[in-house]
Amino acid sequence: MKALIKNPRDFWAGIMFIVIGCLFAGVALASYKMGTAARMGPAYFPFVLGGLLALLGLVISLLSLSKKNAGPAVEKFHWAPNFWVLGSICLFGVTLKIFGALLSGVLLVLLSALGSSEFKLRDMLLLGIGLTIFCAAVFVWGLGLPIPLCPNIDALQQVKLCRI
Amino acid sequence: MKKPLFALAAAVLALAQLPALAQSWPARTVKIIVPFPAGGPTDVLTRYLAEKLSTQLGQPVVVENKPGAGGSIGADLVAKSAPDGYTLVMATASTHSIGPYLGKLPYDPVKDFTPVVWVGNATNVLVISNAIPANSVKELIDLARKDPGKLNYATSGIGTISHLTSELFASMAGVKLTHVPYKGTQQSIPDIASGQVAMLFDNIMTAQPNIKAGRVKAIAISSSARSPLVPELPTVSEAGLPGFQSVVWFGLLGPAGLPKPVVDRVNAEMNKTLALPDVKARFAQMGFDQAGGNPASFAQVMQRDAEKWSKVIKDAGVKPE
Amino acid sequence: MELLNNLGLGFSVALAGTNILYCFIGVLLGTLIGVLPGIGPVATIAMLLPTTFVLPPVSALIMLAGIYYGAQYGGSTTAILVNLPGEVSSVVTCLDGYQMARQGKAGKALGVAALGSFFAGSVSTLLIAAFAPPLAEVALKFGPADYFSLMVLGLIAAVVLAHGSLIKAIAMIILGLLIGLVGTDVNSGVARFNFGLPELIDGIGIGPIAMGIFGFGEIIRNLEHTEKREIFTKNVSGLLPNWSDIKQCIPPVLRGTALGSFLGILPGGGAVLGAFSAYTLEKKIAKDPSRFGKGAIEGVAAPESANNAAAQTSFIPLLTLGIPSNPVMALMIGAMIIHGIQPGPQIMTAKPDLFWGMVASMWVGNLMLVILNLPLIGMWVKLLSLPYRLLYPAILIFCCIGVYSISNAWMDVLLAAACGFMGYVFYKLDCEPSPLLLGFVLGPMMEENLRRALLLSRGDPGVFMTRPISATLLVLALLLLILVMAPAIRKKREEAFVEED
Repeated sequence: MKALIKNPRDFWAGIMFIVIGCLFAGVALASYKMGTAARMGPAYFPFVLGGLLALLGLVISLLSLSKKNAGPAVEKFHWAPNFWVLGSICLFGVTLKIFGALLSGVLLVLLSALGSSEFKLRDMLLLGIGLTIFCAAVFVWGLGLPIPLCPNIDALQQVKLCRI
Repeated sequence: MKKPLFALAAAVLALAQLPALAQSWPARTVKIIVPFPAGGPTDVLTRYLAEKLSTQLGQPVVVENKPGAGGSIGADLVAKSAPDGYTLVMATASTHSIGPYLGKLPYDPVKDFTPVVWVGNATNVLVISNAIPANSVKELIDLARKDPGKLNYATSGIGTISHLTSELFASMAGVKLTHVPYKGTQQSIPDIASGQVAMLFDNIMTAQPNIKAGRVKAIAISSSARSPLVPELPTVSEAGLPGFQSVVWFGLLGPAGLPKPVVDRVNAEMNKTLALPDVKARFAQMGFDQAGGNPASFAQVMQRDAEKWSKVIKDAGVKPE
Repeated sequence: MELLNNLGLGFSVALAGTNILYCFIGVLLGTLIGVLPGIGPVATIAMLLPTTFVLPPVSALIMLAGIYYGAQYGGSTTAILVNLPGEVSSVVTCLDGYQMARQGKAGKALGVAALGSFFAGSVSTLLIAAFAPPLAEVALKFGPADYFSLMVLGLIAAVVLAHGSLIKAIAMIILGLLIGLVGTDVNSGVARFNFGLPELIDGIGIGPIAMGIFGFGEIIRNLEHTEKREIFTKNVSGLLPNWSDIKQCIPPVLRGTALGSFLGILPGGGAVLGAFSAYTLEKKIAKDPSRFGKGAIEGVAAPESANNAAAQTSFIPLLTLGIPSNPVMALMIGAMIIHGIQPGPQIMTAKPDLFWGMVASMWVGNLMLVILNLPLIGMWVKLLSLPYRLLYPAILIFCCIGVYSISNAWMDVLLAAACGFMGYVFYKLDCEPSPLLLGFVLGPMMEENLRRALLLSRGDPGVFMTRPISATLLVLALLLLILVMAPAIRKKREEAFVEED
């Protein structure tokens, strides 16, 4: 296998395009009306594009087998930064309505900072608090964007600073 | 099956809190959800009214846009929020009289809401291309009869009020027209000016610039009475289709089980707001008719409209293909 | 002569005490929200709308317009410094601007962007003043068939954006087109590829896509290894562009301004295409196209000017036809209506002080922006010397709040995270994301106009060749395609020769 693929980056990119293309074309075909070229249905455009993408993916993959297109290997995939950065973003999204931006924001800064190898808790806590207060001041108190600030508890919602 | 139970529980909960709530409301920020994007007519009007309401209620009234899926995302959010009076929705005919009949929605337009106050109506104006040899509703209908399906009409999408109004027009006139949907009515103006599209029911305010510039002809308005904004235009009903009427109501609703004192308070304050001379002038300028009145009359309007549009949707077979 | 009189009236309005103050507040706010990644002018203008109710209409509109073009300036700063496009048009600025920043030339890139934008802003303001009504007629001439052909031309131009494999760039465009199709199909009303999620019925916003693929993807990539992490070269060479830089940029700025001004007039996606086509043009006519994508100063100057010119001329369809060309313009219509002004050509005659005051304020605002931005460049460049471990959590929190505030939906935050992962995979597989973004924006418009054109022509595809505008654009697209393919084919041949040697 290794010997066959001369350009692994292209090869896997090609596979990715084939999978995504087939997915779109398949869903379009299965769920929506096709119509004709003169009177296209909702499936027509995505089906054609999906097919085209799969075809291009195939060509890319096949070309990557040729010696002429030799290229470097796919670099190592680092899961840790992906996990911390994306995980903390998702957590922020999910908890924003419940915890409010002040808490969720500090959480976001702290957790995402774990993705870096030079994590210092004290620094990050200070940074997190500073940034969330800055954001609250600019976006909520300044511009009046409707972003929940405090945890969704009735008593807290009546505090003036928590008000949108 | 779960839904009625949920609504019941919510109502019981609301009743339990009632005495405390009625006295203290509003103790904090009141949020009005606008289920449409920022900058649209509903949004602009709601922001204007929210400003007035907040001075009268003595608490901030903020507007939050929750656009998406024809307004149903924002409406659903309110349907599922606590009936404490702090979350209201500026609903329109699209979220409550049309949307529920187009496809399955996660909320029931009647059971999941408490009508609070009917704010007003928006009227549409029928504009036609200069390239069309017609100058009145009658001539337009005659032209459409001669050549079924040849005349195109623009709308702001399948199942929107502009679409259903045109369908109502076609069915009452007994003519066949071809539907050309756009993302918004204004996007169709170049094609109407060039004569590729024959007609459009457009918001009376947004249609003005191109009517005044002579790029399109306005021939009638869709409401049952003439508009002070364009008194020279007849209604469609006067001009050849007796009984034709299509206006878009909009008003404030809360979740089901909203305590009566809160409903009454908001209703009273909104009626006061609507009576202010500058608010009256603004409404007239923007081409909106004022409504007001008590919650019960609002509920009636909603029901009447729902019956009307669900019939149009059924008769015309309007649904996503 | 009349023009001079009108401009005189305009300047007397724009320079009047309070108006100049509101103009300044507007551009300052605009710069601020433009620089902060994520938060855009739409949310800001919507929130500030009620506070303008108490102002006289002229001051209100001057301030709101100031926020809009101030955000354009600020947005390019973020694009250059941290590779984060605030909106589609600054994606192009990222390409070479960020590379320049990495080479220690951030100051030059920022300076050229500011000066180019100012020049473009001045020219297009003059264009609005002199020719707004006849230019509006151009927008009316474009029908669905013409828009479709314009999109085709734009997509072919997108291929040129890539500096790697041609075929992968095309695949990325198509992927972008497909992602753009998620959501309700305008022509049939069917919600496509939403997997039952109501949040996806209106499609995926540009915010989560741009922020995720570019911003989050870049952050993860930078965190990969401590040793190899992207540290900007400390030896900053020349804070501001010198005369030779400026001389080098004059022709690109002129070309960018011309292209941007023209495309900005078209209400459907024209402004987006401005920056892209300006970049494409520069890369095509450059003596050494390989410099592009690696920090070519023309690659910043041209699209930045085009971007700003288009932002300015997109007021033309608004002021004269009442057609909004983007969400900000839709908000401006809302602002006018709430102040009792009907947008349309009658503004010029009915409210000349408002119309000319606004036009003049645009120039004043642009001047303020240059004065405001040039001294700030030093500060921005210093920001880059902050340790990355402190910088990236800050970028993340701004992005998250920004993405949320677009439509107050937490779903968008999750979508952006998913796009971040996609961006990382693309990087690993050498797939450039900028063509994807253009495909994403143009895809829905392309399909919509194609189907609408066929609906109007009753299914006759000949309409694309019989309409003169459409035919011209398609011929141009074909020519461009040949131009794009030719070097690739030549290169292949050269490589073959090398190997045989």
